[in-house]
Amino acid sequence: MTELTFARPSLDRARLLRLLQDYGVYAGVLVLLLFDVAFTPHFLSVENFRTQAVQVAPVLVVALGMALAIGAEGVDLSVGSVMALSTSLISLYLGYGPWIAVLVALAGGIVVGAANGALIAFVGVQPIVATLALMVAGRGVALVLLPQLKDVRDPDMAALGSGAVLGVPYLVLIAAGLALLTAFVMRRTTFGRQVLAIGDSRPAARLAGLPVGRVLVVVYVSCGALAAIAGVLATARLSASDPTSLGTLMELSAITAVVVGGTPLSGGRVRVGGTVAGAVLIQLLTTTLIKHDLPPSWTQIAQAAVIVLAVYAARERGRR
Amino acid sequence: MKPTASVRRTSARHLLTVGLVASLALVSACTKSEDDSAKGSTASPQDGAGQVVSSPSTGSGPTCALDAYGGGKLDLKKATVGFSQSEKEANPFRIAETASLKAEAAKRGVKLLTANAQSQFSKQISDVQDLIAKGADLLVIAPLNSDGWEPVLRAASAKHIPIVTIDRKINATACKDYVSFIGSDFVEQGRRAADRMIEATGGKGEVAILLGAAGNNVTTERTKGFEERIKEKAPDLKIVFRQTGDFAREKGQSVTENLIQSKPGITGIYAENDEMGLGAVNALKGAGKKPGAVKIVTIDGTRNAVQGIVDGWIQGVVESNPRFGPLAFQTLDTFTRGEKVSQDIVIEDSAYTEKNAAADLGKAY
Repeated sequence: MTELTFARPSLDRARLLRLLQDYGVYAGVLVLLLFDVAFTPHFLSVENFRTQAVQVAPVLVVALGMALAIGAEGVDLSVGSVMALSTSLISLYLGYGPWIAVLVALAGGIVVGAANGALIAFVGVQPIVATLALMVAGRGVALVLLPQLKDVRDPDMAALGSGAVLGVPYLVLIAAGLALLTAFVMRRTTFGRQVLAIGDSRPAARLAGLPVGRVLVVVYVSCGALAAIAGVLATARLSASDPTSLGTLMELSAITAVVVGGTPLSGGRVRVGGTVAGAVLIQLLTTTLIKHDLPPSWTQIAQAAVIVLAVYAARERGRR
Repeated sequence: MKPTASVRRTSARHLLTVGLVASLALVSACTKSEDDSAKGSTASPQDGAGQVVSSPSTGSGPTCALDAYGGGKLDLKKATVGFSQSEKEANPFRIAETASLKAEAAKRGVKLLTANAQSQFSKQISDVQDLIAKGADLLVIAPLNSDGWEPVLRAASAKHIPIVTIDRKINATACKDYVSFIGSDFVEQGRRAADRMIEATGGKGEVAILLGAAGNNVTTERTKGFEERIKEKAPDLKIVFRQTGDFAREKGQSVTENLIQSKPGITGIYAENDEMGLGAVNALKGAGKKPGAVKIVTIDGTRNAVQGIVDGWIQGVVESNPRFGPLAFQTLDTFTRGEKVSQDIVIEDSAYTEKNAAADLGKAY
């Protein structure tokens, strides 16, 4: 990673690109915020920022797990289905009380993650194929367990969805806590270093004696657990379990947030702060277009433009 | 690492994986949901009102009879009817629709074959071909799309199999490719929703539309009817916001949350299905609004939405009746006895307001 800083003839250009890649997403968020403050009516209100934060929370939690998987040179397509599975399990087990239901939902996510990890680490299936299989299977199981939308009337779940501490909603606190935890794990723990080493080069990591299989399983288990948490949060917010539509296309939103945040798809590097900013950027973009009542197809085009920009910024890295 | 050892280890991991998945399946056997049975939320969907024809099956409009369509008379009681459902039975409308056909078939003692296309058009085409191959003498189709039916229709008309399409129309020639279409008039539903909205808001203020999924005739027609009627009857009611909620509660909720912040003065929300309307109710509750502060009118008539009227959050629900069973079988019966049936059978949808919601809650599906 260090060779970019020396022996580069066009140092300024390289540095500029590097800056764009590292801080472009923050600049994007800033530009959108300034635009909204200037042109969007009623944007500067506490209520509005709270809404945006609450809406972004589930996507952000999923994106954190996705960042881990991508950092380990993989990807997890099953996150949306895990959310659906988690919402089904909550509804089915709520009779035992909300805590048990949440634990069961988490266990569901962990089981799917373990299956993903085992397929990738020990069977040697490509991550995209293994998680694709679980993506199809997960949604199927979710729909078998709970074939249609069901209301969640539990008061504790409702409190989780709409309650707040000192004006900060629980959902936002949980998402922020998980982001900090992920950042800490990636920066300060051996596990974080091992994930990056495996993402950079799996054979080298194996030769260096790292427990490659175990680390990969833990990565996908974490990703599954985070997706399950996102499912719990989304269920609490909606106060209903909707396995047919909850989490659809969530894998793409999460990958977008991670990639826009500057984490390369080639692995070996994870930017947690960038991922958070990436999720916020996509949320602000969608919101801005909705608030200005532009056709929904514009949102998709705008998202595509942001992705292309992010990939363009990351392009130079690929040629190191 | 020796290859054999690796294989053994791999299979051990494999077993572990399978075990994990199996444990999930086992665990799910002892579920306990919070539903109190007293609420009776799963009352059978067919106990509500059946459909009433609004345009009579003979008389006005073009009709179709056996001699024009081809094929011979047959006794419906001894016939096999094939039913192809378009979307998975995951929403109340589809559940009630399939249940109604099954119930009517059982009542009449007709053998019914069913297939579900799971929202995949290619699967629906092969479903219908399968139904024909399995010996269906008559077909009831709830089409997923309007186009692309030529291969199936050719196969069916070669065998002179009468086809009735329900809830959505197909782009083909009536009485040649299919016998008749039974369904609601979605434009009219939009108009009636507009009437209800005008009544609830007093014809003044700003309204928002939560659109259905893009590129769907239900969305376009429900929008068209609503906008036309508002323009014609209440020019003071401005439509200031049109965003899609994809017919889903979650999307309806997040769009409404943004709506009520950027346009705090909004007076009404027209949701093109109940689910998005219920999402809007969630958003209003979350923003600390009082029931009735923003008038909500939705279309479909599911139990949850009608309950929303009773609770004061929703001001009107225009029904889209899914109970096609009695009318579909009656049409097939009339047709196979050699009598004329109408090519377009438009059903009459009722509506729910504060006046009848509590009393008619049992009728909602």
